[in-house]
Amino acid sequence: MEPVLLRARGAADSRAITTYLGAGGYEGWKKALAMGPDAVTKEVSDSELRGRGGAGFPTGRKWSFVPKDHPGPRYLVCNADESEPGTFKDREIIEYDPHQVIEGVAIASFAIKANTAYIYIRGEFVRWAKILEEAIVEARQRGFLGKNVLGSGFDLDIWVHRGAGAYICGEETALLESIEGKRGFPRLKPPFPALVGLFGKPTVINNVETLACVPHIITRGAAWFAGIGRPKNTGPKLFGVSGHVNRPGVYELPLGVTFREIIEEHAGGVRGGRKLKAFFPGGSSAPVLTAAEVDVKADFDACAEAKTMLGSGGIIVFDDTVDMVEVADNVAHFYAHESCGQCTPCREGSDWCMDILDRLMAGHGLPADPDTLLRICRFASGGMTICPLGDAFSLPISSIVTKFRDEFERRIAAATPLPPRKLPVLPWAGPKAGFGI
Amino acid sequence: MPKLTIDGHEVEVAAGTNLIEAARAAGVAIPYFCYHPYLKVVGQCRICMVEIAGQPRLALGCATPAADGMVVKVEDSERAREAREAVMEFLLANHPLDCPVCDQAGECLLQDHSMSEQGAKFTTHMAETRRTFPGYERRLIGPHVMQNQNRCIHCSRCIRFTREISETAALTYKSRGNSTFIDTFDGSSFDDPMSGCATDVCPVGALTLRETRFRKRAWKLRSTPSVCPGCSIGCNIFIDHHERVVYRFTPRENPAINATWLCDYGRFLAESLNEQAYLAPQRQDHGHPAPAAWGEALAAVAALLRGAASLRVVASANMSNEELFLARELFGRHLKGEIAVPVAAGEPRRMKNGKGEWLLAKDAHPNAAGARRLGLDTVDGEGLSRFLYGGAGLTLILDPEAHPFLASPEALRLLRVGTTVVWARRSHPVADGATWLLPTPSLASDEGTFTSSTGAVQRFAEAFAAPGTVHRTATGGMSPDCPTIALPWGAPGEARPLWLVLSALARELGIETLDLASPAEVFTLMARSEKGFAGLSWEALGGLAPQESFRERQHVG
Ligand SMILES: Cc1cc2nc3c(=O)[nH]c(=O)nc-3n(C[C@H](O)[C@H](O)[C@H](O)COP(=O)(O)O)c2cc1C
Ligand code: SF4
Ligand code: SF4
Ligand code: FES
Repeated sequence: MEPVLLRARGAADSRAITTYLGAGGYEGWKKALAMGPDAVTKEVSDSELRGRGGAGFPTGRKWSFVPKDHPGPRYLVCNADESEPGTFKDREIIEYDPHQVIEGVAIASFAIKANTAYIYIRGEFVRWAKILEEAIVEARQRGFLGKNVLGSGFDLDIWVHRGAGAYICGEETALLESIEGKRGFPRLKPPFPALVGLFGKPTVINNVETLACVPHIITRGAAWFAGIGRPKNTGPKLFGVSGHVNRPGVYELPLGVTFREIIEEHAGGVRGGRKLKAFFPGGSSAPVLTAAEVDVKADFDACAEAKTMLGSGGIIVFDDTVDMVEVADNVAHFYAHESCGQCTPCREGSDWCMDILDRLMAGHGLPADPDTLLRICRFASGGMTICPLGDAFSLPISSIVTKFRDEFERRIAAATPLPPRKLPVLPWAGPKAGFGI
Repeated sequence: MPKLTIDGHEVEVAAGTNLIEAARAAGVAIPYFCYHPYLKVVGQCRICMVEIAGQPRLALGCATPAADGMVVKVEDSERAREAREAVMEFLLANHPLDCPVCDQAGECLLQDHSMSEQGAKFTTHMAETRRTFPGYERRLIGPHVMQNQNRCIHCSRCIRFTREISETAALTYKSRGNSTFIDTFDGSSFDDPMSGCATDVCPVGALTLRETRFRKRAWKLRSTPSVCPGCSIGCNIFIDHHERVVYRFTPRENPAINATWLCDYGRFLAESLNEQAYLAPQRQDHGHPAPAAWGEALAAVAALLRGAASLRVVASANMSNEELFLARELFGRHLKGEIAVPVAAGEPRRMKNGKGEWLLAKDAHPNAAGARRLGLDTVDGEGLSRFLYGGAGLTLILDPEAHPFLASPEALRLLRVGTTVVWARRSHPVADGATWLLPTPSLASDEGTFTSSTGAVQRFAEAFAAPGTVHRTATGGMSPDCPTIALPWGAPGEARPLWLVLSALARELGIETLDLASPAEVFTLMARSEKGFAGLSWEALGGLAPQESFRERQHVG
């Protein structure tokens, strides 16, 4: 497949607006302004573009949820928080072709009639925040943004908002809270952001990659986009491959290629001639797939059929030297650290899983541990929590326990009892002044 | 009006009612921790999971509005029950389970739920070391609030209270995930003027009141519905007492006035109800006070009244409508005395009602509005000094705490002329020099109605009978600046509520119409003859079940 989103990768001066314009950049924006919002939304719907942020929700449908006659402002938010372990595709787009994102944000804003858009970028992405800001300045100087864009009467401002280092702020409603200057707590839904979003106004949140697809859909047409991949799973997709492969990196491939093709052909196969043991198909919050499942197609529906998800498309590959208990422990550490602490099952469950897995790793496993893990995961997912972070730690951990239970059992069989807990003896200096005991 | 079925019970509720309230109306209890009827719904604790027929996922009782035709299963759903048990296991995984030494025990939602739904058959799969918050287990976060973070179930009620109700936004979450804890926003003292409410809304023992903790087990306390005497707003309270000692005030729900809130000033007046300096009637015997029996005292005061050349009466806006009415009829209409009701402008106080509106207090008394409604002369400090300056043969002071001016040297000088009879509870300079002193009990041993600044006539009930009101108070030994701790079972004293003494005096004076047996009778007479109270009936005033249990109260606390 000819590269679409990564076509500028490696070109000299690929970030400059002149390069972008030379490749037909901002033609989509001009065309969209001429088409009108409804036609733009229809074109995106027809392309069957699905969100690249994780859930794979049809983008055109999401836009159409914004009430047409809502008085007052509405907002578009581009989610560049990219914090999912094993995910580094949005960064690649911004690095080589930031104007693609700006143009996508502009078209999407126009489609939902938002005059203000925010790009929420993870705090650690200092360099990429700067790149975006420079690109916005360039676009503004050429009249693609600002008041009365290209004489169309449409105003648009784009602001880059940097996060402060919380994974949870990638969750769309926590992200909105964060932009509002509040603690990044996911909101209870409904109401959904399309009705009550940023500052209480209708808001659409889309991932960087999703929005980067939009200019191409407008310039080249929905039919062209829908022709890539397979029905309902259309278009090019960036796969970030990491772990035990020979050539880790970001690969742009049509949806529907098999994971085998991605890992063996594009990423050069498992490193050091070892064998593939397992992989996360879409970031660490997707249930793990084993080597036997490597022929699953890398798209939304095929992954769902295989009881996992395409997620962000970040593929993390494990060779046969990997201890899956350790993988589970690593996952648990990440999510326990990133749980916002709002709702009971995720706050208590993520930490509990981590403690059990830590104990297993320390060689003190108990026979009940695998079942306890499964029970915790069962009740921290599937709608038991406010946001999907509960699922994000539960599903991978329970999939590892289920698929690699023998590794847990082996550890438990070899376990030594937990050394007796030493309780610290605290010195008692009598009641402190001012304390009513 | 949606009609729905909950565990087989049909119920019709107002549109917008959530499933927890709808179930309550249907007689089904959906457990909850983070939900509070006067705070924003956040759906954090996840204990209120119910099954709705036709929906694949469980729904939150707190966040789901009742809809027509909905079929909800609470206890009848195995799936929902299992989910709730799991949430309970999560909550208890890190909970210290130190109920025996926790002051919330007995009025703790977590404990109640564990006992009622799980039948105390709690099991856990937890084998790890519990999470603790060293340094935050016994921490005074403000002048009144003691924190034990280990017990916190992260329901955020306290945070929402300071954001939505007291509007100080003082409390917040700090840290993240399982390390999340409650603190003041900038680490400074939690000196919110309504800080006590944070301990009310806290469903567990994570926030308790420094003033009342460890003084009485919650299940020993009896709660008597009453009205806060602190200002003219008239917040509804329970007087929580045991063995004739008042331990605390807790808010009693009234959407029109105080929703479920109390200000700290009013809340901590509770302790002052235990003060009883005067135990028996007293007369002056060659410059020394000497105890006397009620019979002798009433006869003597009646004789003074009969023989007085001129009579003036200082009433009080702390008196109930019934007492003010009796005083006006007896001393004004029958004995042709002059009556003044001093009203002191207090510190400005405010309270938020159930609609989120602030009510403001102008007077420092609970019943200035009642005095005005009865057409009595209300005077300020200056007016009171003019009133006393006039001189009279006999002066009655029905409440020395009616105005701070009464404690001033100038007032004492003015009162030296003529004879004075004083009704008093707490030691007061005016009382010590009185010809006759008659002991009155506190609000806890009185019964009647107050008229609030919003015009509501509200009943307060008697917590314990007047004959047993007396107990000495001693300074508590628990901490240097802990308030007084009352010693229960002090010798029973003979303080009598004012209405009773006034009607006894009427009998003594042969005024039969005012010889009434109860505040209810006084009220009925007043409602018959006073425009301001016309149409009101004692029974219909403010749903005062005499002894409401804690569990019933918990649904708002
Ligand atoms: C815990 C959590 C973290 C998330 N992090 C990200 C993220 O870093 N970037 C992202 O684009 N979407 C993230 N999402 C998904 C967003 O909530 C949202 O679904 C997405 O931005 C929508 O964009 P799309 O429709 O274009 O996929 C996250 C979701 C969850 C639950
Ligand atoms: S699931 Fe976890 S991260 Fe999401 S709202 Fe609940 S506690 Fe926060
Ligand atoms: S301190 Fe109490 S009210 Fe506040 S969050 Fe914890 S449990 Fe809830
Ligand atoms: S009461 Fe519904 S989630 Fe807490």
